[in-house]
Amino acid sequence: MMKEFRDQQSERCSGAMVQWCNGAMVQWCHGAVVPWCHGAVVLIFLLMFISSCTKQKSTVPDFNPTPYNLKIPKFFPTQLKIPPDNPLTVEGVTLGRDLFYDGRISGRDDPDSLMSCSTCHLQSHSFECGIDHPKYIDGHPFGVTGILTPHFMLPMINLVWTNHGYLWNGSVFEENINTSKRNLEDITWMAVVAPHEMNSDTNRAKEMIQQINRYPELFKLAFGSETVTMKNIGRAIAQFVRTLVSADSKFDRYLRGEVQLNPGELNGYVLFMTEQGADCFHCHGGDGNPLFTSNLFFNNGKDSVFNDPRDRFSVTSNPMDIGAYKAPTLRNLTYTAPYMHDGRFKTLDEVLNFYNTKLVWSPSMSPLMHHISNHGIRLLAWELADLKAFLLTLTDSTFIANPAFSRPSKLPGE
Amino acid sequence: MIRIKKIFSLLPLIILFLFSCKKGNDTPPNPDSGQLAFLFEQFVDSVPLHLDTLIYENAAGNHYKLTDLQYFISDIVLHRKTGGQFFIKSDDGIHYIDVRLQASKYWQPTDSIIQDEYDSITFIFGITAEKNISNRFPNPPERDMAWPDILGGGYHYMKLNMMWRNEPSVNPMPFMFHLGIGQHYSGTTPDPDSITGYIQNYFKISFPLNLMIQTDVKKEIILEMDVNKWFGPVEIFDFAQYPMMIMQDQTAMELACRNGRNAFRVRVK
Repeated sequence: MMKEFRDQQSERCSGAMVQWCNGAMVQWCHGAVVPWCHGAVVLIFLLMFISSCTKQKSTVPDFNPTPYNLKIPKFFPTQLKIPPDNPLTVEGVTLGRDLFYDGRISGRDDPDSLMSCSTCHLQSHSFECGIDHPKYIDGHPFGVTGILTPHFMLPMINLVWTNHGYLWNGSVFEENINTSKRNLEDITWMAVVAPHEMNSDTNRAKEMIQQINRYPELFKLAFGSETVTMKNIGRAIAQFVRTLVSADSKFDRYLRGEVQLNPGELNGYVLFMTEQGADCFHCHGGDGNPLFTSNLFFNNGKDSVFNDPRDRFSVTSNPMDIGAYKAPTLRNLTYTAPYMHDGRFKTLDEVLNFYNTKLVWSPSMSPLMHHISNHGIRLLAWELADLKAFLLTLTDSTFIANPAFSRPSKLPGE
Repeated sequence: MIRIKKIFSLLPLIILFLFSCKKGNDTPPNPDSGQLAFLFEQFVDSVPLHLDTLIYENAAGNHYKLTDLQYFISDIVLHRKTGGQFFIKSDDGIHYIDVRLQASKYWQPTDSIIQDEYDSITFIFGITAEKNISNRFPNPPERDMAWPDILGGGYHYMKLNMMWRNEPSVNPMPFMFHLGIGQHYSGTTPDPDSITGYIQNYFKISFPLNLMIQTDVKKEIILEMDVNKWFGPVEIFDFAQYPMMIMQDQTAMELACRNGRNAFRVRVK
């Protein structure tokens, strides 16, 4: 019956259609019924069509991470600094949070020598160590060997909007010829090996994490492989850090029309935003830039002699960058003492007094420090108080209490 | 006949396959239009600008070096010889230039310029009141040009940061030559509480042009700025007369903008 059917239809598999059914296809075609031949051609076209627009080979994914929905607060930049090869995923952020708080990332498991990111970066201090840290006197952290860090800390918030490079001197930046120091992802391995931080090595770190229960599974969920690599450790932590968004201060609520600033705070805001006032905004943002940092680098008139081998000049070799450092975000100032790259000011009042009367001229001083002719902004005491009151409206207490950023109740292997 | 029918029955699939990867925006170029790009060049006394070096002198005799120069040019209009205008509408017609950002010094609008002969060009230095709206640019680098709301809002038209001095024996001091929306103050001091109104300081500049836009020929227009022209020579802008900044000094900004009308030059490359 089937043979008869094939015979009846065999002639149909000829002519123009045979052109498509040549070679192995012809044999199959001739050995099958003609409708199958046509069906096969249609099927092949369909498959070709479906696959023709697919950039990658259509392999079945062995993991399927869930995209992480990072909400952009009102007035914040819409362009996020997220590398295309490390998009935020729920699994990546979860893993990154575990690793951020896990001292075994230092490649050790002895309780006395554990060190994690969170050893110094405390949520309660906007992810700095704070001036009241029981171990790091005056807020100056040191590594497992006791070597002090070259600089004091920067707040680890809103880094998903960082442009112009990371760290006080911007030495980790996208166009860096040193390709291993280009992005937030790279800062983890740098911390692992730095003598003034974990003083470990990347092999020890990844091997340690590899042998802890559940981590391989979490890496598989986040990156598709149970094999722990330093690259993926860095990617996971960077993902978590990019979720550390602080955008719910009193000033944010004021901008959103939810609260009103009091007269002193409002006056401080005007002083902050005007050239004839304190003129903070040219370096630190404000109207139009709610990050309260331009992420740019300035010599802000602290010194006349410079001997820090890690200033901005060390990155750019531009003499105008001698003694220049990133203008840090002013958000959460109340939690982030001591201030400046060298932690020289213990209180916000000291900072304000410096800008008021103690500016020092140097050849590389930024032109934005135009109050230098008076050695400062020369505000009256009540004006300084208003300026301080405004700065304190940038305090985001909900951020430092946000459970999504805190230590997980249980780390893998615990 | 049957074979032909079969071929036709498969044709849609074949066509679908052949055209499936074509980009949706691969529309053929308008046969009656050409492309135009703008180059933004900066000079001091006709010599290409060199940042961070104290080598310049203005009409007032102030010696200075530039550390930053950032500005907006907007609403470029090409005027046809036969009448009519062509408005550059890409990026809402606003372009930001930072002399430290090489990419910003070249602008290739997506507009297809109508094939014709153009005999003049006009543009705005800064941004018109209609478009100079706060929070228009949420992202850097344009974001960092924000002009305080209390002083009129929107964005700086230009930031020109300098260190200057009159005598070699003294330390150079800062000067922030920033232009944007000015303010009327009811009193004699620029107290923000006494602001009674705002002044739009942007201005339009016109130049004759000899530009022929042709199909498949990309033309380039160079917009040059001579920094020293902001400070003279017709009306002297002496840094010593102003307290290192002018954002809250409408008299100074007006003087600067009068000079600024002569600071530009346009030529077809």
